[in-house]
Amino acid sequence: MKIDVNHITMIYPSGKKALQDISISVESPGFVGILGPNGAGKTTLMKLLIAGLIPTKGEILLDGKPQLSQEKKLKSQLGYLPQSFGLYDELTVWQFLDYMAALKNVKDRKVIDNVLERTNMTTKKKVRIRNLSGGQRQRVGIAQALLGDPQLIILDEPTVGLDPEERVKFRNIFSEMAQNKIILLSTHIVEDVQAVCNRVLVIHDGLILFDGSPAELISQSENHVGVYLSKLGDSVPADCQVVSKINTADGIRCRIVAERLPGFVQVAEPTLEDAYLYCIHKGA
Amino acid sequence: MRLFSLYRVELRRLLLSRTIWIIAILCLCALLPGYSVFTPNNAEVMSGKYIVNPVLAGTVIGAVLWAVITILETDRLHRSSTDVLTDSIASPISLSVAKTLAMMTISVFVTVIVSLLYLPFTAAKMEYLFAADFYFLHFLVFMLPTWWISILFTDAFYQITRRIELSVMLYAVLAYFSFSGFVSDDYFMCWLNPLTVTYSDGFPSYWPLRIGIYTRMIWLAIALGAWLMSLMCIRRYQKNLVSSFVRGLKKVYFLVAAMLCISVGAFLWVSQPFIDHGPEEYDENYYDKHNDIPKGNVSAVHYLLKVDPVTGRLSGRAEYTLISVMSGENMLTLNAGYKIKRITYDDKDIEYETRNDDTNGERSTIFTLPDANGKRLVVEYEGFPTVARYMPLSISDSIDPDYISLMGASIAPDMMNYNIDNKNTTFEITIPDGLIPIFAHEQMTDFTVNNDGTKTWKRTGEFIGLFFSAGKFVIDSFSVGEAGIDFAYGKIYEEPVQDYDIRQSVVDVFDYCNGHYGESGYNTDKRLLMIQRSAMYRGGFAAKGFCEWSETYLSPETLKDVDKGATSTEVFIHEMIHQWWGGFGLKCLDDGLWSDEGLTVYSTYRMVKEKYGQLYAQQHYVDEWQKAVDEQNRNFYNRYPEYLEKLPKKYQANINESNLGTNLYKRMPLMILKAEELVGGEEKMDEILSKMYADRASYDYGAEFTYQDFLNYCGLTEEDLCLE
Repeated sequence: MKIDVNHITMIYPSGKKALQDISISVESPGFVGILGPNGAGKTTLMKLLIAGLIPTKGEILLDGKPQLSQEKKLKSQLGYLPQSFGLYDELTVWQFLDYMAALKNVKDRKVIDNVLERTNMTTKKKVRIRNLSGGQRQRVGIAQALLGDPQLIILDEPTVGLDPEERVKFRNIFSEMAQNKIILLSTHIVEDVQAVCNRVLVIHDGLILFDGSPAELISQSENHVGVYLSKLGDSVPADCQVVSKINTADGIRCRIVAERLPGFVQVAEPTLEDAYLYCIHKGA
Repeated sequence: MRLFSLYRVELRRLLLSRTIWIIAILCLCALLPGYSVFTPNNAEVMSGKYIVNPVLAGTVIGAVLWAVITILETDRLHRSSTDVLTDSIASPISLSVAKTLAMMTISVFVTVIVSLLYLPFTAAKMEYLFAADFYFLHFLVFMLPTWWISILFTDAFYQITRRIELSVMLYAVLAYFSFSGFVSDDYFMCWLNPLTVTYSDGFPSYWPLRIGIYTRMIWLAIALGAWLMSLMCIRRYQKNLVSSFVRGLKKVYFLVAAMLCISVGAFLWVSQPFIDHGPEEYDENYYDKHNDIPKGNVSAVHYLLKVDPVTGRLSGRAEYTLISVMSGENMLTLNAGYKIKRITYDDKDIEYETRNDDTNGERSTIFTLPDANGKRLVVEYEGFPTVARYMPLSISDSIDPDYISLMGASIAPDMMNYNIDNKNTTFEITIPDGLIPIFAHEQMTDFTVNNDGTKTWKRTGEFIGLFFSAGKFVIDSFSVGEAGIDFAYGKIYEEPVQDYDIRQSVVDVFDYCNGHYGESGYNTDKRLLMIQRSAMYRGGFAAKGFCEWSETYLSPETLKDVDKGATSTEVFIHEMIHQWWGGFGLKCLDDGLWSDEGLTVYSTYRMVKEKYGQLYAQQHYVDEWQKAVDEQNRNFYNRYPEYLEKLPKKYQANINESNLGTNLYKRMPLMILKAEELVGGEEKMDEILSKMYADRASYDYGAEFTYQDFLNYCGLTEEDLCLE
């Protein structure tokens, strides 16, 4: 499967410009992490990719053909977990997944047991959805996205509400699945992207600021990350963005990114989070 | 294929929904108000009381319940954002179609369960009058389609507005329209509360079901059209209503199908064959204006009719033997539902033009006779008899498998330019084998059997008017003294007629009333034909040689009504005595206390006293009357009417209704009994009543035989008969 996004612009009826002339191409296998601050246009891009929106300008091609003409094919190969979604509360977990499996035309009901096991929900399969915790509902959401062995999986903030152990587990599941599929993962958690994605898109204000591997993103920020000790009440140097502040016995250890680091700052080895913030900072 | 798969999925999901089950249970209970508070159909007959009203209640209440669940189910998808997931898997339009079809399927299940649930109760209550096919047809014709219409409309409203409160408001407006006074007697506008006429148990007419199917088809087509249109408004790609609709217009087949459905609905409405298109008011002068025109003369008429009970249509041929002819323009009128196929004058076709001038249920046709020398005029016609628009709830003409009723211009043309000599009339009609015909209030005896399961009945001679009915009659012929009586009643009533020894009761009543009040006037040559008629005809009617009465007198509930007599046989005696004191004996004014009921109950008591003895009559009649009157007198609200006015209207109505029943059936007989004592005993009273009966000619229909008249005959005053 191959998806080509060509010069897409998305302007909502309210006049808000969500995406501006962006172009990307994704081919299986591929695990793409999409990073960006709130309102950057990540969810809009996701919705465009699942044919939930029609772009104001530009086109999306699925295997070389216009996406809207391939909508049935797209839906039949799609596993989608939106940022916010609802479930049929009166159904049990198994009944809901059975319903979603039937919608996806999945005949073999063992698939349901399989995704229940993968999402660690087997013991909860007879529990009504209204009685689940937020994290458990999220896991049901992930489980439905995995049903039917979809070729394109789009996950919008999938690990929200999960504890760290579960996050790691799901990251690994996604990673395993990406071997022969396209997975698009939108998240705030840079660590998740670093752990599993072979490609990163950084979006800000509707523009793609970066499109490449995590290593390339990190290399871009070399010599733009530094640390220094400051005292309480000291202001942040101009044109710098603080990544973290840690209280130590010697004072506050500040980690900053900047296009040009001040002289008193000691250059540090960048992480993906530093690189992402530098990218945003630079773009802004 | 994909749609069918989605439909199965949605059906399975909905069946797991608790809300759907709650609605289903409420639908099961929705019929209950039809037995008491929601009775749109005149419940004089058992089918009206135990089938039609409960089904109509279930229809209306169930339709509202289905509307509610449709809106809630559709809204819940969007409100909870579950559609974000489902729309990524399947087309929202396909999902919406699948959900609506699934909802309609569940309504079918519920209809089946409801009909089976109420079946034993209905059958037990209706006893020998219960007909399973008639019972189930009402659920299929009225309840299920109306539920579907409701589901389609509400789904359409929600898909268009995407707002729960707007959808509810639109549905409420549509429902209000159906109940409003503007369309109260319009079968075609009452989409939610199907309009029905008085039913009959013994002579079932399929007319209400025919028009029920037709009106449901109209509204199903319109609702389906609206629903198909709404599918184009389903929001996709986060677009608003207008953008979604514009985008939906690209699916031309939806638009074409929607327009087609709405057009079919409109076409069906415009071309409905049930009610004529005349004015809403009866035109009293319609017939008078033809009185003064010059007329030719017809020496003999031969009517040849054939009915098709399945389609309810009649085809006819009227052949007139002419003595004198009005050349030039002639006019005839026929039932507005009939179409003239051909008019010939001495075997030559002549031109004619049927006007669109429906009046009083009839339509005129103009034809021009080329000369005045012709001897034979033939009119051939065919069609479905319509009902006059000025009284759409009164069905006089109907052709059904078990009952046929036709009169006047629904049988043959009314020739405006000719005086017809009825002495030489031949009437032939082909009807299904098994139906017994009665023409012009006389039995038909001459028939030939056809090979197609029909019989052609023939009658020649003189007739008074064109009245024809045929049904599954049993005709019991017997004599009471000199009076020859033919008692024609519905075959379905054979059991109670025998069980309650109705024939002997007729004999007893004739013997008693002839002896005490005066001869009935019938003999072996001049026989009395007693015809039990469909309940569509209220009360009774009589003329020379016949009397008709509504079938309701033989229903299980009437026969068990202890208010009218101690046993069912006595109830029938009571109803028979009405032939003397009722509508065609003495005309009494129904001013509460003073009505023919009092005289009839008193006469029944007297006859029962003679038959079963003083003690029996005292216990079952006089003591019962006194007890009821004492209770009425003791009632606080009757003693202090000023407090009655302070009660809620419902309780006032209950007390007033109870008082009316006591006045009719208890107080007045007791007053007549007091009059009997004051005038000098039973013999004297019989003399007075006999004189009253003899003087009945003075009090013809419409005249008032008042309470004061009665007192005058007795030589008493109001104070004399006061029971307090």
